[in-house]
Amino acid sequence: MPVIEVSIRDLERLVGETLSLEELEDLLPRLKCEYEGVEGEYVYYEATHDRPDLFSAEGLSRALKGLLEIELGMPGVILRQERVKAHVDGPTYRPYAFFATVHGLKLDDEAVKQIMQLQEKLHITYCRDRRKVSIGVYDLSKVKPPIYYTKAKPEEVKFTPLEFAEELTLKEILELHPKGIEYGHLIKSYEEYPLLVDSEGKVLSMPPIVNSEDTKVTEDTKEVFIDVTATDPQAGLKVLNVVATSIAERGETIGLVEIKGTWSGVTPDLTPESLLYDNTITEKVVGIKVSVEKASELLKKMRMDAKPISETKIEVKIPAYRLDILHPIDIAEDIAMAYGYENIKPEPYPPPHPGMPHPIEFFSKIIRETMVGYGFQEVNSYMMTNKKLLYDMMNLPEQPTVEVLNPKHENYSCIRTWLIPQLMEVLSQSKHADYPQKIFEVGDVVLIDETSSTKTREERHLAFAIADREATLTDLLAVLKSLSLQLGFSYKLEPIDHPSFIPGRSAKIVVNKKSLGILGEIRPRVLLNFELNVPIIAVEININVLKEELISP
Amino acid sequence: MPKEYEQATVVLPPKQKKIVDLIVKGYTDIDKIAEQFKTSRESLMRDLEELREKELLTITREIVEIFELTSEAERYLELGLPEQRVLKVLEKSGEIVVKDLAKAALKYSIPLTDKEAKIGLSVLAKAKAVKIEKGKISLVQENLSKLVDELSKMQKTLKQIKEGKAPEQVLSTLIRRKLVKKKSRRKIYAYPTPNLKKLYKAGKIREAPVITTLTPEILASGAWRTAYFKPFDLSVEPPTIYPGKKHPYLEFLDYIRELLVSMGFEEMKGPHVEMELWNFDALFQAQDHPAREIHDTYFLKYPNEGRVEDESLMNRIARVHEDGWETGSKGWGYKWDPRRALRLILRTQTTAVSARTLYARGDGEYMCFSLGRVFRPETLDPKHSMEFYQLEGIIVGEKVTFRHLLGFFEEIAKRLGLGKIMLKPGYFPFTEPSVEGFIKHPKLGWIEVFPGGMFRPEMLAGLGIKKSNVAAWGIGIDRIAMTVLGIDDIRLLFTRDLDFLRKWRKPIVKTWR
Repeated sequence: MPVIEVSIRDLERLVGETLSLEELEDLLPRLKCEYEGVEGEYVYYEATHDRPDLFSAEGLSRALKGLLEIELGMPGVILRQERVKAHVDGPTYRPYAFFATVHGLKLDDEAVKQIMQLQEKLHITYCRDRRKVSIGVYDLSKVKPPIYYTKAKPEEVKFTPLEFAEELTLKEILELHPKGIEYGHLIKSYEEYPLLVDSEGKVLSMPPIVNSEDTKVTEDTKEVFIDVTATDPQAGLKVLNVVATSIAERGETIGLVEIKGTWSGVTPDLTPESLLYDNTITEKVVGIKVSVEKASELLKKMRMDAKPISETKIEVKIPAYRLDILHPIDIAEDIAMAYGYENIKPEPYPPPHPGMPHPIEFFSKIIRETMVGYGFQEVNSYMMTNKKLLYDMMNLPEQPTVEVLNPKHENYSCIRTWLIPQLMEVLSQSKHADYPQKIFEVGDVVLIDETSSTKTREERHLAFAIADREATLTDLLAVLKSLSLQLGFSYKLEPIDHPSFIPGRSAKIVVNKKSLGILGEIRPRVLLNFELNVPIIAVEININVLKEELISP
Repeated sequence: MPKEYEQATVVLPPKQKKIVDLIVKGYTDIDKIAEQFKTSRESLMRDLEELREKELLTITREIVEIFELTSEAERYLELGLPEQRVLKVLEKSGEIVVKDLAKAALKYSIPLTDKEAKIGLSVLAKAKAVKIEKGKISLVQENLSKLVDELSKMQKTLKQIKEGKAPEQVLSTLIRRKLVKKKSRRKIYAYPTPNLKKLYKAGKIREAPVITTLTPEILASGAWRTAYFKPFDLSVEPPTIYPGKKHPYLEFLDYIRELLVSMGFEEMKGPHVEMELWNFDALFQAQDHPAREIHDTYFLKYPNEGRVEDESLMNRIARVHEDGWETGSKGWGYKWDPRRALRLILRTQTTAVSARTLYARGDGEYMCFSLGRVFRPETLDPKHSMEFYQLEGIIVGEKVTFRHLLGFFEEIAKRLGLGKIMLKPGYFPFTEPSVEGFIKHPKLGWIEVFPGGMFRPEMLAGLGIKKSNVAAWGIGIDRIAMTVLGIDDIRLLFTRDLDFLRKWRKPIVKTWR
């Protein structure tokens, strides 16, 4: 979630009232924003992804004015009579461009910073790192409309990118400019790059990479031109609404732009969306009883227009910058937020049924408690591990294993298929601890199974091991025998050859003709792989099989 | 019958037998007897009292004057009186200048401090055994022999006092010179009774056999009746033993499971290797949602694609994503890709388990929880882990509301001893309204541990839920566990150090105080 920085002074100027820190600490969470702290005159808060309209001081002040009842209902928008014209004929991989203008601005250093912050935070969240949508804001007085969204070959056009002193070709910008390096991957593979120019061919920007230095917004800017290019038209239009209405909080009017070309229309479309809200949802979902009148008042505090039209229905008008309203349930949440979560009385829900642990957990607990009784220490390992440990170290040929495409560390790159290797790892890292060492783990392993819908099957295993100078297979068989007596199953041991165990000292455990698991004395070669110097006896049992055997009728 | 015939053998524990032996031998001073035992007299008093009760001893107490050497005198006893040492030096050096006395002592290896040289000289001068003229000391032979006699008597007295014997003479000088201190002390004396003497003479005082280890044989023979049990030395450090025990973290999770069961929740389970469908799409998380990117989700190299047989489920989910379907929602407004939904991942949230449960059970009245592991591409460090536990739950029913969710939070916080919770609006892609519950951590301040909300209508419609509301919650159980277990490194929950595990104390949830 993005962390937003606003100046209290700027915020007070926008709200029109003084604000104390305590007040902000209380108000921010009411807008889902988490107060992070204060540094000098700057307040930091984390805004949520669904409310990009709160990504800057302008939007925040608009919302605060509602909560503080300085202004209620939908903020008014004054549209300018004159319209700037634009033409769109961008590259097919980024075909959409929408525009707006804002006039009568009074900017200063802080205001310019906020406009930049809004774009930046939108870019990394809603705009999906500029892939889906990208935004540019320019000093309108420095360009001559109509504005053209077009395309150009990498070496065909030159302009001075932001913070640079000399002109570079588009290709050079991708190679040399920090933003070119960061976002170049979005356009690099294409023959032509997106370009925004004015009627005299002056470059405004190369979307979605970087704007030109010549057209940038400064403290002296009185009117701005906003562009939004997108791969998804709906997303682009919404972002334009957020940016235009936010900047307009510092100005007088918003100007429409007439667009022709591959897409024709007039933007921004700030028509509020209307929704008929059924107030019974408030009680049914939130659990609070509020009249349609009260609910309407609450919605006005959240900067929506609301008018009760019957006992249960409210006509709601939603400002164009609210991107999070998809469904009436989202209106219900705004009512709840304005109502105040602290005023919603928690109520215990009477359980309709008795509770119950999952059978495999219930069974696992019996096994674990029995193992504890034998004096074994339970260990807990990650399910994520690596093939080297599972197979190479255990002298075992590789088996089909769930493998991760994007591991963060090679030690955690696949999912375990058996538990003994991780017990070996514990013993190998516990040589300083007193012997004898008796450990066990009950945990899930994941095996490849093409017949399953997830192509995998999970088994719950029990593994235990004894490490001691004088450990022999007998010590382990005694535990197994006792386990069978305590739980009530009978088993046979069939000799097997297993590469991890000493030949002639390992066996398969068979219950009712079903394989329950394996046991044996670890091969000296494997002991040396783990730098261990005492004998180790280990067993691994599939307790799903055991559970079926014991619990099924 | 004459009394003599009634008298049987008296069997005494070894310690009392030895006390009796010493007393019969003539020891009467308890301090002396204690010396023989190499112990304090206090530790003998219980036995003495028992012996007195058996009418073997009489005990008397008196206060006596005793003399003790000062530390200075202890030194003189060892090295000789200062005047004796000065004499020794003078005998060897002959006539000598006063200030060379210490130097000469050093030369003849006679220990003599400046202060001692001064004391020695003054005593000698007073006795006129030396004369000092023009800074030079010389012996006055005629007065010497009387002084030497005197000095050796003083030495003898010091020795007597040291040995605890009654001093004979020259005491007043020694006390004046602060070499001997006079003190009063309570003395205890024990004397044999005639009965003891008689018994002893008749050989009827015997030592009881000592039992170190009680054996079945001793029990069977009755020998224990007259035997003496060797007292156990409680100061000896016992050996360390390691009990078999549950992993403290898993034991805490067992407790959590019991807690949820006691609150009426049924446990649900789902696979760790999961399709994006259940982990994201079914939760109405758009396919380009940032959480679905490579930084936040482990994708699988092998196997990489799952399978869904329920076409209508896929259609419903496609519709809610694309245009909201019949839910009254606008949807996300993009073309939903069914192949993307089939991609296999390691589940990033156990909400996938809730989604599967809702799909399988449909509408109804039920409460379920899941306690399982989830995976995120994180580099392992004290605060982050690529694998951790989530505690997740749903409350399903037609009359379930957001208030019931808050009610659940309040209840579980109480049962976990977490104190008061603070509730704030929150945002999660699949819940509306959403809430974040914070608890006050003693060190970290307010920390978020209870995220939750009402599952969105789009999600419920996709899963085939038509009438029920679903309150859903997830709890960062690792954070709570770390508070309870008293650790601040998340990696310790999966430690490979057996020594650490053996010494880790049991998790005790503070609710039961």
